[in-house]
Amino acid sequence: MTETTVDATGSSPLLRAFAYAAVLAVSFVMLYPLLWMVSSSFKPENEIFSTTSLIPETFTTDAYRRGWNGLSVSFGWMFLNSTVIALLAVVGNLVSCSMAAYAFTRLQFKGRSFWFALMLGTMMLPQHAVLIPQYLMFLNFGWVNTILPLVVPKFLAIDAFFIFLMIQFFRGIPRDLDEAAVMDGAGPLRIFFKIILPLSTPVLATAAVFSFIWTWDDFFAPLIYLNDIEKYTAQLGLRTFVDATAQSDWGALLAMSTLTILPIFILFVVFQRLLIEGIATTGMKR
Amino acid sequence: MLVDDVPHRRVHRWTHLRQHLAGYGFLSPWLLGFFVLTLGPAASSLYLSLTDYGLMSAPRWVGADNYMQIATSDPRFRAAMNVTFTYVLLSVPLKLVFALAVAILLNRGLRGLNWFRAIFYLPSLIGGSVAIAVLWRQVFAGDGILNQVLMALFSYEGPSWIANPSTSIYTLIALAVWQFGSSMIIFLAGLRQIPQDMYEAASIDGAGRSRQFFKITLPLLTPVIFFNAVILTIDAFKAFTPAFVISDGTGGPIDSTLFYTLYLYQEAFTNFRFGYASALAWVLVAIIAAFTALSFLSAKYWVHYDD
Repeated sequence: MTETTVDATGSSPLLRAFAYAAVLAVSFVMLYPLLWMVSSSFKPENEIFSTTSLIPETFTTDAYRRGWNGLSVSFGWMFLNSTVIALLAVVGNLVSCSMAAYAFTRLQFKGRSFWFALMLGTMMLPQHAVLIPQYLMFLNFGWVNTILPLVVPKFLAIDAFFIFLMIQFFRGIPRDLDEAAVMDGAGPLRIFFKIILPLSTPVLATAAVFSFIWTWDDFFAPLIYLNDIEKYTAQLGLRTFVDATAQSDWGALLAMSTLTILPIFILFVVFQRLLIEGIATTGMKR
Repeated sequence: MLVDDVPHRRVHRWTHLRQHLAGYGFLSPWLLGFFVLTLGPAASSLYLSLTDYGLMSAPRWVGADNYMQIATSDPRFRAAMNVTFTYVLLSVPLKLVFALAVAILLNRGLRGLNWFRAIFYLPSLIGGSVAIAVLWRQVFAGDGILNQVLMALFSYEGPSWIANPSTSIYTLIALAVWQFGSSMIIFLAGLRQIPQDMYEAASIDGAGRSRQFFKITLPLLTPVIFFNAVILTIDAFKAFTPAFVISDGTGGPIDSTLFYTLYLYQEAFTNFRFGYASALAWVLVAIIAAFTALSFLSAKYWVHYDD
């Protein structure tokens, strides 16, 4: 989407000034809590609640030091856990979903429409319907308290949404390319690797970034599957930290909150256009 | 429509076979996942919902007892329904109105559109994380930012919005509304689709601004409004993390933030009543399905589909 600053409805200057003021006000109110969180994380504890100012009078990174080692396991360890899980989820989603999307758009096989309809059906089914048997199954496998229940399903294309996203994109790749390759004797495997995947980097990137962010942010699955604090993700660690510090060390809590959002924020800044286009074209949640 | 995607151009028999094999080969991860992670568990949880099943015992068949108990004698279920419906019925319309209003403001050709779009989208992206729930606890606490601002501006001493059972749910609704950005982006994309000449023609016919809005913008946007409403409603029914973090997993004070999913979680993973929790899960599925079906049925009365 390119920036087209067309004057949509021929607004008068006054009206436009009003719109501008309104939008600015809304952005300020929306951003204020976030800015407050970041600035408070750099304030000494006694300054956090004594002023609503966004600029710390005394700048200190003390809260980060207290927070980082605030639990029996360092937050660094939990960030590492989160990163490993999120990266594996990215790989799993990219591999399994692109394979499925390729089968649905480019290969002709018996039962394709049937499976396609079922795939759309799974997108509608709330995860709660399968939650308990899945949990019991992973418990049986001895997978509870490991990262396997969080990662393995991604390699089985459980996030059908990404299949859907890739299907939309693959359909736009000209079929002449495949046909030319077939004439040259290329099989389905070669077409997938030499034609489809190389031309699909935009959609693969979108899926990768969303996979990472959603897995990083996920709270529910780690909550039910991970028990030992050494295995916690950053989200679980933060939530444990809330319990541990209660109201006593807001500075450290806000510092760790800021840190858990930071990776998402960086991805957001770098891939902003990709993410927003992804939302605009598919109506993806979040 | 899918089958016709592949043209039947002189495809030889062996290529056919190879296509079948390749098709199932590429589909195999999904197929495995479908059977092992979706179909099997779905069937199993339907069965479990008809049993009494805890960690210590084998499932014992109880027929529709769980569902009967849910329907007739479970005060916490009623509390959860109350909280969840309040949340859905307030947060979804508010979010839609906000998203649409801001999209319309932005669509007036403001400078820095991309900046604003990004700023408004950020909360949607991070809103579900624990950090934001932590922040929200702080914002609405007794000594939180909201009360500090109220004190500074109006010398009004606010209560602890989180600890007060009559206001706690509204802090969660505010959190949902704060995340209007992704819907706004979809609205913006929809607004761009409306042909400009319709407005020009309307102006020539002497239609004023508000008339244009109600006769052109709103009707042409109804498909997007419909889409957003359905997605937001389903998501709202499934909300979990904020209520969990804000209430320390209790749904309190006095069950005032007991989201349906939170109640389900407690039954399954703190009380280990797997049978009962499975029944709760299917009731939720039924509620979401009913809501979605109703939306689609209602669509033909208010959603405007051109040509």
